[in-house]
Amino acid sequence: MRTESVDVLILGSGGAGLFAALHVHDTNPRLKILLVTKGLMGKSGCTRMVQGGFNVVLDPADSIERHFSDTLKGGRYVNDQELAWALVQGAPGTIHELETRVGCFFDRRPDGTIHQKAFAGQSFDRTVHRGDLTGIEIMERLRDQVLARPIAVLEEHRAVELVGDGSRISGALVLDIRRGTFLGIHARATLLATGGGPTMYKIAAPSLEKSEDGLALAFRAGAIMRDMEMVQYHPTGLLAGAGRVTGSVLEEGLRGAGGRLFNAQGERYMARYDPDRMERATRDVVARAGYMEIMAGRRGPQGGVFIDVSHLGAAFVRKTFPGMVQRVKDVGYDLATGPVEVSPTAHFHMGGVAIDSDGHSSLLGLFVAGEDAGGVHGANRLGGNGVAESTIYGRRVGDAIGREAAELPLVSVPDAQWELRSQHHARFWQTTGGENPAHLLGELRSLMWEKCGLVRRQTDLNACRDALAVLLDKVEHISVTGNREYNLRWSDALNLESLVIVSQMITESASVRTESRGSHYREDFPQENNAEWLKNVYLQADDHHDLGMKIFLKDVQFTREIPPAVKEAKLDGNPQHMVQR
Amino acid sequence: MGVLVSPAFSDFVGYEVRVLTVTIRIARSNGEQAFVVETLAQQTVLDALFYIQNELEPSLSFRCSCRVGMCGSCGMVINGKESLACRTSLNPLGAEVTVQPLRHIPVIKDLVVDMEGFFSKYRLVDPYLKPRPGLVNPIVAPPSGHLREEIDLGLECISCGLCLSACDVVGMVPEFLGPAALNRAYNLVADVRDDLAEQRLSMVGQSRVGVWQCHTHMSCVEVCPKNIAPTRAISHLKRTLIRRRITGHRPRPMPKVQRIVQEEV
Repeated sequence: MRTESVDVLILGSGGAGLFAALHVHDTNPRLKILLVTKGLMGKSGCTRMVQGGFNVVLDPADSIERHFSDTLKGGRYVNDQELAWALVQGAPGTIHELETRVGCFFDRRPDGTIHQKAFAGQSFDRTVHRGDLTGIEIMERLRDQVLARPIAVLEEHRAVELVGDGSRISGALVLDIRRGTFLGIHARATLLATGGGPTMYKIAAPSLEKSEDGLALAFRAGAIMRDMEMVQYHPTGLLAGAGRVTGSVLEEGLRGAGGRLFNAQGERYMARYDPDRMERATRDVVARAGYMEIMAGRRGPQGGVFIDVSHLGAAFVRKTFPGMVQRVKDVGYDLATGPVEVSPTAHFHMGGVAIDSDGHSSLLGLFVAGEDAGGVHGANRLGGNGVAESTIYGRRVGDAIGREAAELPLVSVPDAQWELRSQHHARFWQTTGGENPAHLLGELRSLMWEKCGLVRRQTDLNACRDALAVLLDKVEHISVTGNREYNLRWSDALNLESLVIVSQMITESASVRTESRGSHYREDFPQENNAEWLKNVYLQADDHHDLGMKIFLKDVQFTREIPPAVKEAKLDGNPQHMVQR
Repeated sequence: MGVLVSPAFSDFVGYEVRVLTVTIRIARSNGEQAFVVETLAQQTVLDALFYIQNELEPSLSFRCSCRVGMCGSCGMVINGKESLACRTSLNPLGAEVTVQPLRHIPVIKDLVVDMEGFFSKYRLVDPYLKPRPGLVNPIVAPPSGHLREEIDLGLECISCGLCLSACDVVGMVPEFLGPAALNRAYNLVADVRDDLAEQRLSMVGQSRVGVWQCHTHMSCVEVCPKNIAPTRAISHLKRTLIRRRITGHRPRPMPKVQRIVQEEV
């Protein structure tokens, strides 16, 4: 089998992966970098799909402390405060670098300075954007800069395993999708920046190749994971029948600009859920409200609710949201003049690999940046903090790797181990008569939507756990046939395997958190319980447990801001304890 | 024949309106293969390809990512015209649909092309901003001012390769840089922040590869999914090159910059 050795291996080519590549190179140009991406460089992944924009403090009337407080409040105070602080504090410099070094050009105010628009859950209009399709500008320009540097790139190669000994990562086993062959890559430092993308839900927003591979890879390699129960549902996913456009997001700026939500009875239902903030409440609140309306039967012909921006004026809507108008037109409606049917859509995973603010995971040699990491956003992410995370952490972690990689050892993995693991990931060729992975994906999407989605109950979570075990067994028996070159069914099988493993983590974490907080809502525990649950749920793979994982809780450390509920109750922190299940 | 709903999407049958039976002829690496499917409202060619791959022919290969026209991964030639599969509704296409890989770019397998055929040209214009010395803050550029307007018109390129495939000149003169690369070159030449204008202009002015090859057929304009007019960028580059030959080069003044209040510590 082919093997290769590099100093730095970067997995993923979204905002985090590409920005990290630039910063690793610029920090230490002598490092040999290899960037591996499942799709095409800068084209696959979710930073590309960013629409609304990027939260950053630029205006003298705003402050970093306010952005920080908004981020914690939105996250219902279970964010890692040091990670959230690094986010807000790194945002101005990142926008600065994007504009003056990378070559991005964001929209301007009439006076020529950078325009900032309104998003939900924020005390100041601080979202920088390029029209309503901001991700294109950021990713095209980052890609251009990568092309300008001696950074090796392998496109349409996917990591199938992080190789290590349970405490250190020595590289990754990679599948060359085009040839259908494996490649073993030794690396001093490995950056996981594959992005999350919770596509295990019936209605989901991320790009179609997303399957939370990074989270499954890190978990299987033994990394400590956190907040896996925290999945964000965006309130306004477009409904387009059986077309795959269904689930794609109509951007948050529509609500920021004054867009209204109605149920099928024409009622502006947010008045019953959050009368003060209405449609500009945070995503967790607005998404759940829409789901409740849908489940109560006040739904439209496609089973959704409606967003209406026509009162803002057709000319304004066409000028301000041209990308959204075009997308809605593609599926047969006019956003500028009437309501459009939408549904909550699985959008983002707040949970991920536990890291420090330089991206170190619990495994030596494994760094993580972007949506693969957990902790920045707590129980709910603010719109506009997602692309901020991928780019800010791409830079920060890239800098850290640039400083540290040369000092990390290059550990050789025996050929026999590479061969053995390759055979494992090609096992689908040895079976016959297995089920079609596309059908199994359909089962998974319905299961997670119904049993572990916007509204959760213990009985459903138990049923979900059992069904996932059955599904995982079916995944093991998928059979793939034909030519190995660019074999999409093989990709489907590997994608599904990642999604089921991550679904198990979501389900276990969700059943541990017996309260409701942010995007995690338990019908059987509907209250936010600040006395007991200002805690994070951590997971780690462990074959000695029945579930194949151990689960433990840790109190949130209020290193920079005490939550209002704690100030009021003067609660004492509970000591860390372990849940043995 | 199958109804065009993969079980992964069978929950959306509430909107299942059977509209048309369509024969889809796909130019695969080993020859043309036809599939008959029934289309539903709001479905696209990309949905059809997924259905065929999931249910009828698992060995079919195609590429896609975002499925909403933002990534430019699913470019192909549909009924003779370069299109993004994700943004091409089936219903207006009629009962016979042909799908072929992009032209002028090597095929890897079936509908998957090697985009290196696109980026090898794109790279030649040095497509990255080289910041001018002293550019330490974002520039002040009113939305209606010329600084902004010139660039805005060509900014949203998603490097999908449709224009390269549609360009007749690239078919005849394979070295021609093609519409997308020249559009990017013009964006940077027009960008007051950039320091490599001279280098780029000398590249795009070369007779065999550069702007003079463009015959203004505007095929690129017709197929661009982002409504960019590369022909316009090419004309501007031609005019800039001519003006320099006649009047010589005058350096541009440094633009005004915005003070960012909160600097990173």
